[in-house]
Amino acid sequence: MDFTSVAANLRQVTVELIHDERILGSGIAWAPDWVVTNAHVASGVHAMLRRADGRQARGHVVAKDLEADLALLSVPGLGAAAAVAYQGELRVGSLVVAMGHPLGVRGAVTAGIVHAVGPLLPGGRTWIQADLALAPGNSGGPLADARGRIVGVNAMITGGLALAIPATDVMRFARGAMMSSK
Amino acid sequence: MDRLLALSDELAAAVERAGRALYAIHARPRVPSSGVHWRTGFIVTANHTVHADEELTVTGPDGRSASATLVGRDPTLDLAVLKVDAGDVPPAELGDSDAVRVGHMVLALGAGPRASWGVVSAVGAVEPRRGDNDLLSLDLTLYAGFSGGPLVDARGLVVGITTSGISRHLQLGIRAKVVDRIVDQLVRHGRIPQAYLGVSTQRVRIPEPLRQRLHLAQQAASIVVEIQAGSPAAAGLLIGDVILSVDGAPIADPLDLRGVLRVERIGQRITVKVLRAEQVHDVPLTIGERPARPR
Repeated sequence: MDFTSVAANLRQVTVELIHDERILGSGIAWAPDWVVTNAHVASGVHAMLRRADGRQARGHVVAKDLEADLALLSVPGLGAAAAVAYQGELRVGSLVVAMGHPLGVRGAVTAGIVHAVGPLLPGGRTWIQADLALAPGNSGGPLADARGRIVGVNAMITGGLALAIPATDVMRFARGAMMSSK
Repeated sequence: MDRLLALSDELAAAVERAGRALYAIHARPRVPSSGVHWRTGFIVTANHTVHADEELTVTGPDGRSASATLVGRDPTLDLAVLKVDAGDVPPAELGDSDAVRVGHMVLALGAGPRASWGVVSAVGAVEPRRGDNDLLSLDLTLYAGFSGGPLVDARGLVVGITTSGISRHLQLGIRAKVVDRIVDQLVRHGRIPQAYLGVSTQRVRIPEPLRQRLHLAQQAASIVVEIQAGSPAAAGLLIGDVILSVDGAPIADPLDLRGVLRVERIGQRITVKVLRAEQVHDVPLTIGERPARPR
């Protein structure tokens, strides 16, 4: 694998949330016809989603957790391609790759390393903190390791650091939301 | 072997290796800085992060806290050295900092460990004329609390100390070789000698007519605004003298003068070219050693 192939694989599972041709943020095709993104990206009840190949589908928000900053959308017709997540330990210094649409640039890849994993302040929630350049539009998109496995959902930038919600938290949220929506 | 994966593993291993000698330094309000256990019992950190001289606390890579004492400072390089009982914490494994070249991949570490990666972007700092070989400009982010931490090569060897500089917006690495020299002096003499003239200067523009009349290439120089009694400068300089050059090297501002005052030049004779009453004079001086601060 190199950055190009990791990026190509991630592009397959990264979607755009769009409104009037404007890119609101990124999302991950977590399972067939299901998309995970940040709650702050999926602000409404419905959203238009577009895949890298241009296919579009309308989704609706089935679950939202504002505190966790996660949202799950049901997107009938979006199709297959499910994300491969990794919930194991991340070593500080190991490579990470982000995919998303920073400032409206579609399918942009950025590379960096794991800065630390843990809360920003004692007692806070656990973040994957990455030394990696994110911009508005990356929100909701995947952060992956050198194998291309998704380790988190990019959520915000603070003090120049990229913060991602760990895959463990995303899995728990998505599983719970899918179960209760059935 | 998957090259990307191999690189990823190497970087993570480098963080672990260098992190074994990494300390948090609690010597300023709010964010602690970082330090490196350089030699058994001696921690090196960034001088600008050590606000107090006494009652310092450090936290080792094992999470254990210990009290530390300041044993020396080098404000010019932005280094401070602390003495500590390091217990089982090993000293850092140092790399050959002369082998570091522009474009080399490097990591900066902060206590935690936290990590940042990038490349060496230039030898020397900011402007080439200040670019003495001691400093490296880094293309990486020094996050809050990183100053004083190690600059690490891809093998995990410590090749320098990072600092955001006195102005706190730079990304600098001080080569390990230079740090080693400072620590050597401290261990041998019990202090860090600093070259000293005993003047305070400010940058001034040279008036254009004067510049043309005297055929000066430089547009700026440094005016003497203060001379300390009994200092090397007192032997020949006067307040109001405009320092044009030292041994032929132009002194366009106080930083240039600081660049001349290198520790290995203590005791050397220099010729200071000054502008005094619109005439150029050569003033011979001897670089001295900064006296100990009164306590």
